[in-house]
Amino acid sequence: MIPEDEIRRLTSENRELQKKYETAIGYIREKVDQLLGVMGTAPLKSEELDDKTLIGVDPIGIISNSFAQILKHLNRTNEKLKITSEEINAIFKSAGMGILVIDRDMRVLSYNPMLQELFFADKPGILGQPCYKVICNIDGYIEDCPFRKIFETGEQVQQMKWVVNNRYYNVVGTAVRDELGTITRAVLVYMDITERILGEEALRKSEERYRDLFENANDLIQCIDPDGSFLYVNRAWCETLGYSLEEVQDLTIFDIIHPECSECGSEFKNVVYGEKTGHIEIKFITQTGREIIVEGNINNILEGGRFVGTRGIFRNITEKRKTEERLLTAQKIESLGVLAGGIAHDFNNLMNAVIGNIDLALIYSKPGDEIHQMLVRAEKAALLSKDLTSQLLTFSKGGAPVKKVTSIGELISDSAGFAMRGANVRCEFSLPADLWPVNVDKGQIKQAITNLVTNAVQAMPEGGLVSVSAQNVIVEGPKAQLNKEGAYIKITVKDEGAGISKEHISRIFEPYFTTRQTGSGLGLAATYSIIRAHEGFIEVESSVGAGTAFYIYLPACRGEAESENNIEKNRLPEAGRGKVLFMDDEELVRETAGDMLGYMGYDVAFARDGNEAIQIFEKARGSDSPFDVVIMDLTIPGGMGGKEAVLRLLEIDPGVRAIVSSGYSSDPIMANYRQYGFVGVVAKPYKIKDLGEALKKVISPGE
Amino acid sequence: MQVIKYDICGQICPSTLLTALKEINNYSQQLMDGEITLVFYTDNRDAVTTIPESAANMGYTVNVTKMEKCYMLEISGGRK
Repeated sequence: MIPEDEIRRLTSENRELQKKYETAIGYIREKVDQLLGVMGTAPLKSEELDDKTLIGVDPIGIISNSFAQILKHLNRTNEKLKITSEEINAIFKSAGMGILVIDRDMRVLSYNPMLQELFFADKPGILGQPCYKVICNIDGYIEDCPFRKIFETGEQVQQMKWVVNNRYYNVVGTAVRDELGTITRAVLVYMDITERILGEEALRKSEERYRDLFENANDLIQCIDPDGSFLYVNRAWCETLGYSLEEVQDLTIFDIIHPECSECGSEFKNVVYGEKTGHIEIKFITQTGREIIVEGNINNILEGGRFVGTRGIFRNITEKRKTEERLLTAQKIESLGVLAGGIAHDFNNLMNAVIGNIDLALIYSKPGDEIHQMLVRAEKAALLSKDLTSQLLTFSKGGAPVKKVTSIGELISDSAGFAMRGANVRCEFSLPADLWPVNVDKGQIKQAITNLVTNAVQAMPEGGLVSVSAQNVIVEGPKAQLNKEGAYIKITVKDEGAGISKEHISRIFEPYFTTRQTGSGLGLAATYSIIRAHEGFIEVESSVGAGTAFYIYLPACRGEAESENNIEKNRLPEAGRGKVLFMDDEELVRETAGDMLGYMGYDVAFARDGNEAIQIFEKARGSDSPFDVVIMDLTIPGGMGGKEAVLRLLEIDPGVRAIVSSGYSSDPIMANYRQYGFVGVVAKPYKIKDLGEALKKVISPGE
Repeated sequence: MQVIKYDICGQICPSTLLTALKEINNYSQQLMDGEITLVFYTDNRDAVTTIPESAANMGYTVNVTKMEKCYMLEISGGRK
């Protein structure tokens, strides 16, 4: 039996323990709820977990383990943050751009070394200063600073080519928010682009200079791409080829290469494919169809080592080529002229013998005889050949005219007829019979008229009318101011051709000027020169579509013209008397002259060259039978000619009467013989009457 | 990857939280090493917030998917 006192004691103890247990459980529940509160959840409800389950679940243990993991996680996160922070710091310090951090009041919170170097290398105490003061050097608040918008809108702000202290920057500003999302600061990054801007400016100026150079160059500059299209042409190119820049865009190089120059086309194909570079000469065709010749250099355009086109710089050498051609032509003409002159000279010498002997034969034969007629025909043919050599000589040297009083009418009709032979034009002549005579070199005047009539024929390729007329005129008044007053023969040659434009008419008498592809440009120049040499003048009237008229004015003269009809009557020479020394290297010429002189009654001695003539002359002078006249050939191949011999004779006898004779009838000595010491002239081939007259003039000058 | 699923539908927070935390603690190393994924199915709205929040604070990745009658909370390693 348990005593009642013990039972009461145990019951009281039990009640105490129960109270303590409930207190402990209450404490545990309270701490669990506290911890659950930290975890962010609601406290435990008593019906959720009973006391026994509560102790079994060990919520305090669970939560503390969880806290341990949270702590570990926080530590790991802190480590990462620390590393990230160090990385950001390293970037901040070593960035090649200036970085500035400012607060909402635009005050400097931090900056990197680069920013300091850019803006305030020597300024202390920047932190806390307003950015507009330290960066922009402005004391006052800037209302419209673009970077202020970062704090207003939170959006990134960019400023390109921002100019500060004469330097250029690209600036980017970005907002930085706190944990509540409020923008508390801004990061501004400054990239110094000054060098790039200056480089771009320098490049632009350089490009401008080069463009200026290319555009103002006189040379033609072009760039073409691999398919031949034009990438670039300069102003000189456009002006020369006659295309606008817009038109060039539709062209290729093959559109301007002359179609007749096939080798130019294949040459340029090599150029376009980059296979041909260096020097090139090529023919282009302008927009108006005019041909031009250019020469220059081509080189390849490479981009990144890749062929992208060619560049050509050319000089227009059209005029230069024309000048060279003219020079070559002139040289050829001169060579031909020398040849023609030589041939004419030799021919004249031979014709001298032919004509001289025919002349003598005609004197000895009777006019009614058959043989006389044959001789007349032979003489006519021989005289025609003399005209031919005369033309040859005019062509060869075009020298001073050797004049004779002539009836111009016959001369004009013969020349015009010759020029129109075979042409499909009609010709109308108006040549009065009472035209005044003229003192002219027949060969040269024939050439002048032939040139004009030939031009008239060529101006009418489809046919038409050529009018040739002559009239006696007196030149006075305004026309006479440029030329001598007096009596002239006015010769008109008129055609119905295309006419000459105003642009060209002032140049038609220039040597080598021609508007025809095949013309030499010498015909009118020669005509002009011939007329001026005869102290005449030439005029032209023309306009496009109205034909052309040339007017030649030749001074009229007194005296009787020798026409074909007079020849027979005046064949016989006057008899003469005296001693003649005849010098010529050609035996035939000496023999013929000897017969002529003998017929006329002169005593003749012969010499083969100047030296022999001097010896014979000197010897005769010393005797009692000196020579009355010396006739000397000008040109003695391999020996002394008349020009030198006469000077020597004048030394021996200042009164020597020397007559010069030559097959070169256009030699200046023949035209101006007196200046060379001669007193007379007779041009080969001559007839007996010509020789007789020359002697009479010299021996009996007064008669 | 091993997946362990727990159906704690019917439990209310914080019991659901304590149950989830206990299992997460038990498998903490495997979770960190990426060897295991724990999936809890709960129909308690509070648990859908408290469990992911606590797991995230502990450094884990949590995906919450609403299903027809409950929510699926997938907890996997955070060591990436």
